[in-house]
Amino acid sequence: MHVKVFVAPAALMLMVGALTTVSAQRSAADGARALEGGWVRLDTSGSGSFGGLTANFTRAALTPEGAAKIKPQRDPDDVDPDNRPHKAGEPYIVTQGRCGGFGPGGVEPNSAALFIIPTRDEVLLTREGPGARHIFTDGREHPPLSRISSAGLGHSTATWDNGDLVIDTVGLNEGGVTAGGWRTPETHLTERYHVADDGMRMRITFTWTDPKIYARPHSYFFDFERIPADGYAFENWCDSGDPLQRQSVVPPEQLP
Amino acid sequence: MKAGIFVATFVAALTGVAGAQAPNARDISGYWELTYMDSQHVPRAQLSPRVTRAVLDAQTQKDFKAVRWCNILGMPAIMASPRPLDIRQTEKTVVIAAEVNAATRYIYLNRAAHISRDVFDPTTNGDSIAKWEGDTLVVDTIGFDPNKGVTAIPGGGFRTANTHLVERYRLLNNGSLLSVRFTWTDPGVFRTPHTYEFRYSRLPRDYEARLPLNCDPFDETRTAFLTARP
Repeated sequence: MHVKVFVAPAALMLMVGALTTVSAQRSAADGARALEGGWVRLDTSGSGSFGGLTANFTRAALTPEGAAKIKPQRDPDDVDPDNRPHKAGEPYIVTQGRCGGFGPGGVEPNSAALFIIPTRDEVLLTREGPGARHIFTDGREHPPLSRISSAGLGHSTATWDNGDLVIDTVGLNEGGVTAGGWRTPETHLTERYHVADDGMRMRITFTWTDPKIYARPHSYFFDFERIPADGYAFENWCDSGDPLQRQSVVPPEQLP
Repeated sequence: MKAGIFVATFVAALTGVAGAQAPNARDISGYWELTYMDSQHVPRAQLSPRVTRAVLDAQTQKDFKAVRWCNILGMPAIMASPRPLDIRQTEKTVVIAAEVNAATRYIYLNRAAHISRDVFDPTTNGDSIAKWEGDTLVVDTIGFDPNKGVTAIPGGGFRTANTHLVERYRLLNNGSLLSVRFTWTDPGVFRTPHTYEFRYSRLPRDYEARLPLNCDPFDETRTAFLTARP
């Protein structure tokens, strides 16, 4: 009798403890609801510039083989035929004005809004122009690398982990990675999408893993804020036939 | 036994966004393709007398320029994509992503009114809101840009800043077909509302989207082909 009285409350406490733990977990449905919508990248370091946003990221720790792969890269659309300093207020050609390089611009969001549409089999990541990232959540596996054709986006599958969306991507074309990294089709990119409890902030943590390239996983994150409830997607416009498309924004008067 | 059922239910609740769902007449998510020419039932539009040959020629020139310079296509060209459309639906939105050079369409289920014309900058896709009427999703679109993208409408005519489009989406054949009836209204272009239907076939669940077809406005061979006189 004495033993029974002791065991019953213990079992009850274990059960309550288990349920409490479970309720603290976020389900996939909770995660999907929190993630859905439009998000805008934040400049949390206060850098004030595109380049500065990643300047404070921890540099990639490369293996000797990885370091040997690094090649200097230049944006092929970055053309300045003058190649000289320009006076304040002087417009000049900065790009080829090449429209039609379709797709959502790679796996890393830029300053345009990112829209996340989670559905049962697939999470769609879209921007304000053509193309989308299709993230499969139906349990399928990556195909052989030789069958992955969408080089700039690779092939992505995902699972839900305590309400976070965790994407695994392979098959990306060879090239540079933020903060001194490099990637090949074999390189794995893991992205974890985590929404704060208030639902208004999101963090995407990028982790690049490839034993041939990285001495240890190369990781960094971007923070986002949710667009207002009455916000909507804009539509990017690009016209290669418009000469002004190739010019810089006319630079403002510079301080001496 | 009861414990087993409890565990199974518990695990099911934690896996998948919504768990396994039966086909739902009010969920058009999936990959959809206009497979055959007979999936497009398009009568000739009854055009307004104001739409003269000169007006049509000028509009054709605009559309040609859009193609020549790889501009985004917009509505209604995106819905006639030769490659599959990925349509994804949530409680708040329906999103249509194409594998052609067209901006993704956003259709809002959580908004009953269009964005004020004072605020909304016209776009190639316009501003779309939608609601369910029984098993039919009714999408209402205004806010088209008359000067951007390919403006031609199947059957004749073109979109303008005053064009109003209503689309009616309905699943057919146990969800294997998606019927979309388009009705275009624009007193400056059409004498009567212009209606036609496209039917899209659902692709297998293992279909995987490809990157949009590339378009290089500076490809000299392409430019020569497009601009050559027949």
